[in-house]
Amino acid sequence: MELLINLLINGLATGMLIFLLAAGLTLIFGLMDVLNFAHGGLFAWGAFSGVWLYGVTDSFTLAIIGAILTGVILGFITEKLIITPVYGNHVQQILITLGFMIVLSEMLKVVFGPNQLAAKTPPLLAGSWEIGDVIIIKYRLFIIIIGFIVFGIFQFILKRTKIGLIVRAGVMNKEMVQALGINIKQVFLYVFMTGAGLAALSGILMAPYSGVIYAEMGMEFAILAFIVVVIGGMGSFPGSLLAAILVGLAGSFMAYYVPALSLAVNMMLMAIVLIFRPQGLFTAKG
Amino acid sequence: MKSTFKVNNIILFVIIAALAIFPFVSDSRTWTILLTQIFIFSILAMSYDILLGYTGIVSFGHAMFFGMGAYATAIMLDRFEPTIGIFVLSIAVGMCIAGIISFLVGLLTLRLKSHFFAMLTMAVSGLFLVLAEKWRSLTFGNDGFTFRAPEFFKDRMMYYLLVLGCLVIVYFCLRRFVDSPLGRVLIAVRENEQRTKSLGYQTLHYKVIASVVAGVIASLAGSLYAVSLRFVNTSVLTMDITLDALLMTIIGGVGTLIGPIIGAGVIELAQHYLSGLAKEHPIFERWIIFFGIVYILAVIFFPRGIVGTFRYLFWKKKNPIKIANVPKRKGLAK
Repeated sequence: MELLINLLINGLATGMLIFLLAAGLTLIFGLMDVLNFAHGGLFAWGAFSGVWLYGVTDSFTLAIIGAILTGVILGFITEKLIITPVYGNHVQQILITLGFMIVLSEMLKVVFGPNQLAAKTPPLLAGSWEIGDVIIIKYRLFIIIIGFIVFGIFQFILKRTKIGLIVRAGVMNKEMVQALGINIKQVFLYVFMTGAGLAALSGILMAPYSGVIYAEMGMEFAILAFIVVVIGGMGSFPGSLLAAILVGLAGSFMAYYVPALSLAVNMMLMAIVLIFRPQGLFTAKG
Repeated sequence: MKSTFKVNNIILFVIIAALAIFPFVSDSRTWTILLTQIFIFSILAMSYDILLGYTGIVSFGHAMFFGMGAYATAIMLDRFEPTIGIFVLSIAVGMCIAGIISFLVGLLTLRLKSHFFAMLTMAVSGLFLVLAEKWRSLTFGNDGFTFRAPEFFKDRMMYYLLVLGCLVIVYFCLRRFVDSPLGRVLIAVRENEQRTKSLGYQTLHYKVIASVVAGVIASLAGSLYAVSLRFVNTSVLTMDITLDALLMTIIGGVGTLIGPIIGAGVIELAQHYLSGLAKEHPIFERWIIFFGIVYILAVIFFPRGIVGTFRYLFWKKKNPIKIANVPKRKGLAK
């Protein structure tokens, strides 16, 4: 029983981190048909800048805020410099965002050095609770709570505010929204920056969870996020949460029971979904 | 038109002859090895050009075919005797495996839109990387293993000539392939898939054929690569190999076949010199940053690549009036 609960918490925590990354990706894709291969780079930048800030200021809150700011600024630069010039051309978009991914991860090595960095867990969140036989690691619970809070906030914004309405309408039919006199490119810029901020948040939360951070982790995690976006349905916000939890749980259970298959299981999930339901489990609806 | 074709061919033969004589004239080991490396990556980049330049599909999993060839040759030369026969057989085995896998993967994934295809190929290639890392009894994982090459290739010069021969043969075969009616359909798919479909072509079949051809040629490049190093590890399956092929194709010129060869030369040479500069300033250790930037600029401002741009300028000079008919972004347009 305690094993099951531990695996569940592990899976949920990983799922939440993937969700934060995938949430931005799915909205960016849904709104503008842009698949951002550089998203993992934003994630890694969030992790490195956050860990560096935490080392300097000794405050985890500041580190999180700093990481999100880094993500948002980088998101702004990416959108203006990289996405805008090739807008509407899929093949070029794929090629150019991948190129930017290389630049981002190599820049990390130039700025922070090529070696792995160790990331400490803040003392308030370190350690674990014991309830009966079940050991709950505080930090993992913290990630899960943050994930649900972020989901709640965004769900509120999407469902209850004007900007959310525009974004949801844009995902469904962007030409129509444009015809109604809304500058969808401006909205897209904000969505892109928000998505980049979420990716960076995911990065800094990931750092103490895994203990070490390295430049290549961006790509590794981005692949998981792509899988989640495909499974959840492009443009579907709740879909990406469910798919992320699914991938996280599948990963944690497989890693325990059939370790050899732990990476393959996600690929297989994606292949099955793509073959039988290419639009994803959820489609973007209002 | 006919006369320029002849001139081009003569230039090509002069270059090939010069390259073939090169090792007899110069005995610089560094250059022989560097050129061998360039030829191998030219083969890989040309195979990638069939996908990206001629069929207009972006695959992020090309490294897996390269890796299959490399591992097939390395494992067979290691387990059996290192003879020429086994070497040739191992190339054939690698090509068959790559052909079958690319056929199956292509059949499953090529019906998807470009985004999904790119992601799925990346995922499948990641799967093979994990497989190679976990299956240690066969591949020795990330540590890799060394093996003995056939006696005949101990001489770097012989190997240089063999690789050059392969490059020339592959170039002419692929040239013939893209100029065939089948190759023309591939170009039609690149330019406008919907329209090709409505003309009655089953585009999926053509795309699968392109991916099988590209996979088989990439496997040949992998086999040659493994023997040139006499060592293989999982790095042959990493994303870096795909990225190299991608950079070479884009910088050299997509959809030209000769472009990827030039791209391979430019990138390998630049890599050689830039990493040599690392002693001057540590930023050169991260030379790939420059490539990333050049690559991004190339995609935005220079989508035809080196060869494509030259051809375009030449074409513009010859046909100054018909300028309105120029396809705007040839090759990468979608």
